Amino acid sequence: MQRRSAIKNLALTIGGTIVLPTWANAWSKETLQNHSLSITSSQETLLAEIVATIIPKTDTPGAKELGADKFILRMIADCYDKKSQDIFAKGLISVDELAKKENGKTFVENDSKQRLEVLKKMSTSQNSDEKGFLHLVKGLTIDGYLVSEYVMTNLRIYEMVPGRYHGCVPIKK
Amino acid sequence: MSNINIDAIKNQTYDAIVIGSGISGGWAAKELTGKGLRTLVLERGREVKHVVDYPTTLMQPWEFEHHNRIKKEVKDANPIVSKCYAFYEGTEQFFVKDAEHPYVQEKPFDWIRGYQTGGKSLLWARQTQRWSEYDFQGPARDGFAVDWPIRYADLAPWYSYVEKFAGISGNKDNLASLPDGEFLAPHELNCVEKYFKEQVAKNYKDRHIITGRCAHLTSPKQVHYDQGRAQCQSRTICERGCPYGGYFSSNSSTLPWAAKTGKLTLRPHSVVHSIIYDEKKGKATGVRVIDANTKQMMEFYARIIFVNAAALNSNLVLLNSTSHRFPNGLGNDSGVLGKYVAFHNYTATIDAEYEGFLGSTTDGRKPNSAYIPRFRNVEKQETDFLRGYAAGFSAGHYQHDDRSGLGEDLKKALLKPEYNNVWNVGSHMMGETIPKESNYVALDSSKLDPWGIPQLKISVDYDDNDRKMVKDFFEQLTEMYTKAGFKNIRTNDSHRTPGLDIHEMGGARMGKDPKTSILNKWNAIHSCKNVFVTDGAAMTSTSTQNPSLTYMAMTARSADYAVKEMRKGNL
Repeated sequence: MQRRSAIKNLALTIGGTIVLPTWANAWSKETLQNHSLSITSSQETLLAEIVATIIPKTDTPGAKELGADKFILRMIADCYDKKSQDIFAKGLISVDELAKKENGKTFVENDSKQRLEVLKKMSTSQNSDEKGFLHLVKGLTIDGYLVSEYVMTNLRIYEMVPGRYHGCVPIKK
Repeated sequence: MSNINIDAIKNQTYDAIVIGSGISGGWAAKELTGKGLRTLVLERGREVKHVVDYPTTLMQPWEFEHHNRIKKEVKDANPIVSKCYAFYEGTEQFFVKDAEHPYVQEKPFDWIRGYQTGGKSLLWARQTQRWSEYDFQGPARDGFAVDWPIRYADLAPWYSYVEKFAGISGNKDNLASLPDGEFLAPHELNCVEKYFKEQVAKNYKDRHIITGRCAHLTSPKQVHYDQGRAQCQSRTICERGCPYGGYFSSNSSTLPWAAKTGKLTLRPHSVVHSIIYDEKKGKATGVRVIDANTKQMMEFYARIIFVNAAALNSNLVLLNSTSHRFPNGLGNDSGVLGKYVAFHNYTATIDAEYEGFLGSTTDGRKPNSAYIPRFRNVEKQETDFLRGYAAGFSAGHYQHDDRSGLGEDLKKALLKPEYNNVWNVGSHMMGETIPKESNYVALDSSKLDPWGIPQLKISVDYDDNDRKMVKDFFEQLTEMYTKAGFKNIRTNDSHRTPGLDIHEMGGARMGKDPKTSILNKWNAIHSCKNVFVTDGAAMTSTSTQNPSLTYMAMTARSADYAVKEMRKGNL
């Protein structure tokens, strides 16, 4: 555990040098336009704030800093069917509507506490599209976050090449 | 003109031709070149060189655009291969895409293929168990198929021979139903696998849990280093190709070894149309090949031909090799060519939980699991179904993260995964299916593939014996689990179609009698003795073992025989 916190601290000191994978850097509106997904630049900003609310920046980067929003767009465009893409597109509109209804301002204009409340409301919504949107985006945010280089090399260490197998070892606390 | 023709024929002439470069074709190439034969290996797909053509092998999880999920358009265009467990973003380059290589499903059959150097040896699950005497005696004892023309003793030295070279990890378990081999260090059973082994040993005298036997270099020897291979690093991402050559594939082992002799010519993009039969000489003289890119037909000649195109494609090549002498396919005097196809039944799984060893877990990763050798109907018939099943078994103490929250709560939970308060255990059945005349492949001449070759029509299905076996597997494993104190036992029958097991076998079966079989005890065609079939097509019955090791042993044995016969002037 000491090793982990040491790495964590090291990562913090180098703070701004998070490197996104090439696919995330190469991502652009142009590449996305090949797909059926249509999304405005303000909705891109909105999505970034949604993932930042789901997994916020604390003493370590949050989902937005790790490019989870870009990952989500990529996944929705490439791996999901029309129905899920529609739920996604509609959901982005619903988030703002709900934010305005609750707090009188768009989601991006809400403060972080208000944003969290809006998403919590959506997660328990009677409207299956709203609930479905949050379920979809939250799942992909977690995936984008956990399978990011930063988390996999600093926080939840992934060993590409373990070079060993031990069948029965005590769990380290 | 005639001189030019003679030169051309000379240039196209080899001592031996091997059709296919997968697990058995690679062995044929190694053995034949090793005995000094100039050997042409024809591979219908592209060339895949060891390491340099494994584009995803060093990619980290986050480097995959879709975190290893298959794109929807790929999935939609390839419903068959998308069902395969090993088909994902990191491996899709090694699988045949549905539309590019059409076939006819008279009954649903998910045919999984790998057209490239090495074939499916890049992708296989690497489990390697020997057959036992009980397995070879099966058809004769139980009155199905035909008697195998060989017994365990015929193959045993060849098992040893291929095991030493390929590198097989395993434990000497001293079981008559699953003979020991030439093993490298075994993988360790984990806490709960070991516990289950002890429980089963206590409760049953004829049932055993052993560590899996697999083609991994757990403790490599000089012969493996000489191949340029090194110790398995427990990455468990084998299907992406292994840069260490930690597991056996044609690409990492037999093909480079054959190339070192200077006797190997490997020709990719070479779709074999048929085998040329010379009516006057009464034997095969070569093969017709269609270049996959130019679609031009050409001929290559050799004294012996090894057919290793993978089980069903080897059937296709033979069926399409018609002549005045063999109007229904090469060697098909009996009419059984393409028939008596069988496979392994993988539809059944059974999961449970165990509440012991909660302070323990595993460390590192294991490209292997535990194995339950067949215990049903081994010594004698004792159930209402024929034959039996082997099973995989594995246990894991997994971590979970609480994903219920949002915001900082969620983040904290994700970064503090907790061990489950149970171990999860699971087993999957590998059932022997009975070869039947009604399970067959044939040519559909009304439908041609992009190279003008008739498409293969596949008509293969389960039967009552398979269903009874699944029921028994559930009952027996439930009992074994219950006696071991496992809880929350859940059975699952996926009802998946045949094919996804990727263990299709038969169609050109071996046998003693030319009237009821295609191949003799040396894997040579009864009526065309310079053609050898040493892949899954040769299998008279399937037993329960993962089949590749047996193909390797058969191929080495057959190649040894073929070259001896050549030298005697008999071929």
